[in-house]
Amino acid sequence: MSAEQVLFWVFAVATVVAAGGVILARNPIACAMSLVATFFFLAGIYVLLWAHTIAAVQVLVYAGAIMVLFLFVLMLMSLSDQGPVMTFSAWRIAGVVAVVTVLAALVLVFRRLPAQESLAWSGDAARLGDFGTIKHLGAVMYTQWLFPFEAVSLLLLVAIVGAVVVAKARV
Amino acid sequence: MNIPHLTFQDLLPVAPAGVLVVGAIVLLLSEVFLSTAQRTYQAVIGTLTALLAGAVAMNNAFEPARAALQGYVVLDPFSQWMTVLVCLGTALASLLSAGFLNHRNAERGEFYALILFSAAGMSLLAMSAEFITLFINLEVLSISTYALTAFLRRGPRPAEAGFKYFILGAFSASLLLYGAALLYGATGSTRFLDVGLALPQAFAQQPGLVYAGFGLVLAGFAFKVAAVPFHMWTPDVYEGAPTPVTALMSAGVKAAAVVALVRTFLFLVKGLSPEVPFIAFSALALLSMVGGNLLALPQRNVKRMLAYSSIAHAGYLLLGVAALFAPATAKGSDAVGLFTATPLLGSMPNVAASVYKGLLFYLLGYTVTALGAFGTIAALERREDETRSNTWDLERFAGLAQRKPGWAAAMAAFMLSLGGVPPTVGFLGKLYLFGAAVDAGLLGLAVAGVLASVAGVYVYLRVVVYMYMRPAPADAPAPFRHWTTEVALIASAVAVVALGVLPGPVTEWFSRAGMVFGS
Amino acid sequence: MSHTVPTANYLILAAVLFCMGMLGVLLRRNALVVFMCIELMLNAANLTFLAFARERGDSIGHLSAFFIIAVAAAEAAVGLAIVIAVFRSRGTVNIEEIQSMKH
Repeated sequence: MSAEQVLFWVFAVATVVAAGGVILARNPIACAMSLVATFFFLAGIYVLLWAHTIAAVQVLVYAGAIMVLFLFVLMLMSLSDQGPVMTFSAWRIAGVVAVVTVLAALVLVFRRLPAQESLAWSGDAARLGDFGTIKHLGAVMYTQWLFPFEAVSLLLLVAIVGAVVVAKARV
Repeated sequence: MNIPHLTFQDLLPVAPAGVLVVGAIVLLLSEVFLSTAQRTYQAVIGTLTALLAGAVAMNNAFEPARAALQGYVVLDPFSQWMTVLVCLGTALASLLSAGFLNHRNAERGEFYALILFSAAGMSLLAMSAEFITLFINLEVLSISTYALTAFLRRGPRPAEAGFKYFILGAFSASLLLYGAALLYGATGSTRFLDVGLALPQAFAQQPGLVYAGFGLVLAGFAFKVAAVPFHMWTPDVYEGAPTPVTALMSAGVKAAAVVALVRTFLFLVKGLSPEVPFIAFSALALLSMVGGNLLALPQRNVKRMLAYSSIAHAGYLLLGVAALFAPATAKGSDAVGLFTATPLLGSMPNVAASVYKGLLFYLLGYTVTALGAFGTIAALERREDETRSNTWDLERFAGLAQRKPGWAAAMAAFMLSLGGVPPTVGFLGKLYLFGAAVDAGLLGLAVAGVLASVAGVYVYLRVVVYMYMRPAPADAPAPFRHWTTEVALIASAVAVVALGVLPGPVTEWFSRAGMVFGS
Repeated sequence: MSHTVPTANYLILAAVLFCMGMLGVLLRRNALVVFMCIELMLNAANLTFLAFARERGDSIGHLSAFFIIAVAAAEAAVGLAIVIAVFRSRGTVNIEEIQSMKH
């Protein structure tokens, strides 16, 4: 087993266990903490995928900013956790069956993908050195992805206005 | 480093959205610097901005179809005409909001700004030609609509509707993204042009991956256009949102989503066997047409009834989409079935142009009609009703013809147009759309659509019967009057009848929409 | 490089995460937890983009993931504001109790 294989299985199992905590824990705070853990382990997986920049952003934005928002809201609400954690009704059970079917289908599809023992392009040293670095991503983002970048700036403006409008006490 | 070479031509397609965003920012600033007690001027700014953006889009609509901004957006008549329709709906919605908000002391610049932002999102969504761009623009549209839905804080309904819309929207967006990720894996790109080029080979190598991506993207879109069986909570959202916002959602959001769906799948079906998308869209269309009309039947709540009716109308639009993807070489062509295309003249004619015309004209009709119908409902709402359950009951309309003949006549026109009764624009829209479907050989599906819409006529006629044949209850509320509401209702009523009698140059303009980029 | 973990493993992990997220959305009663499960689904999409990006050696997948994270942050701001509005008007965020409109 190579280091990548060991780390993959460690992070993969940890990610799934933490995600299980999100969907199973009774206390919403425990769910939120499990979600933080999921994000961290996923960042580890991203590093294995040579996506160092995205891994850093994942920790900063997801595990940092977004989760802090979630925790703030949880504390504002001081929820009492009574009653069952989950509900089951006929259409929900049908939904669960559909989800399991989707998962089985996806796993079948992925297992049939042509196996690539070695990544064909990874002998290319120049490309490998550049791959996933912030320099490379920045260069591509500000030359080729201009329009999505501007659209995101519009999105952030809309989100600010929307959040302020909705969170106002009374209109 | 290759610095992109952008010219003015590249900015042309996004110009209408730019106008809308500038208008929204002006409105936001007006709230800071001009906050007077009387804020009707904000609605006027909103309306004028929308009309200006519509004029810019109309100017663009005569440009030849081409990709712009490095292939992330396209400029074609279809998307630009859709922007015109969206701007028309936005202008009417912001006029309707003035009276509605004024009555509730809730007029704020942010509300109109969010309406303009959502219109900008719709316009950008209609022209997006890359998955991430599409997703971002979809979120611009959705986030402003979530906020608009939860804008009023009267009673529990608006927050509940906003929450349900949010969960549904975020869920469908993640389905769409996961599908996009799988398609990226199969083709190596997220730009529709490149995806379309790479798909035939990818499909040959990894059909499972392509089908999984296709299915997930389709499910994401189906939630957005509220097609049965992806419609749960849609009626709750439409019922709980402020009525002018419901009008905008039922017309504008749906229109933009349908255009984005057509644009996406024009590229996604390359290389796939043609029966798959055809059967998928036909099934969605059939379920939505039949389901929407049947679910509307038992509703006494007129606003909720119109919510189900908008699901049915999504079904008619999907019928047009299915016609677009009808397999060119139909096998077993003798049989007329629900999911078969039967060529009428031996060979399949090129129906794309008439389908686009039908879709656009249908959406034009639905925009003016739905805005008018929801506008009338909004005017009949009382401020005190917001926590009651009978706010939008049919009884509200009883005897409206004696009390307010003008309002009743306008509402009757809207109802007949929704039902597709001549001489209204709704009839003409159905005629074009169903005609295009029949030309494409979708006989069985078109017959099912006609039957479903006949069942739907009962629902709409019931409102007319209540207005004209039932005595008014003693405590019947008079419509709330505000000059902006009246202008909007008169404009949409005139449009419903005038376009139904004399479509004039509009159909000829829409015929140019046959030029869709990449088709 | 023969010891590289195959892309399929990463993809299956993403599929498992995605489906766990969907299950949570379907079954959980707490609105905030439902929202967290949607974040799980978005992360699964990100992981898929990144896995394919490594296999193909191009940066489209990385940029997609980057933009998805930005959008998720915007969505979280508005979504949480809406959850607060629901809590203010009802004192609960239990989805079963957020049913004032009849079907």
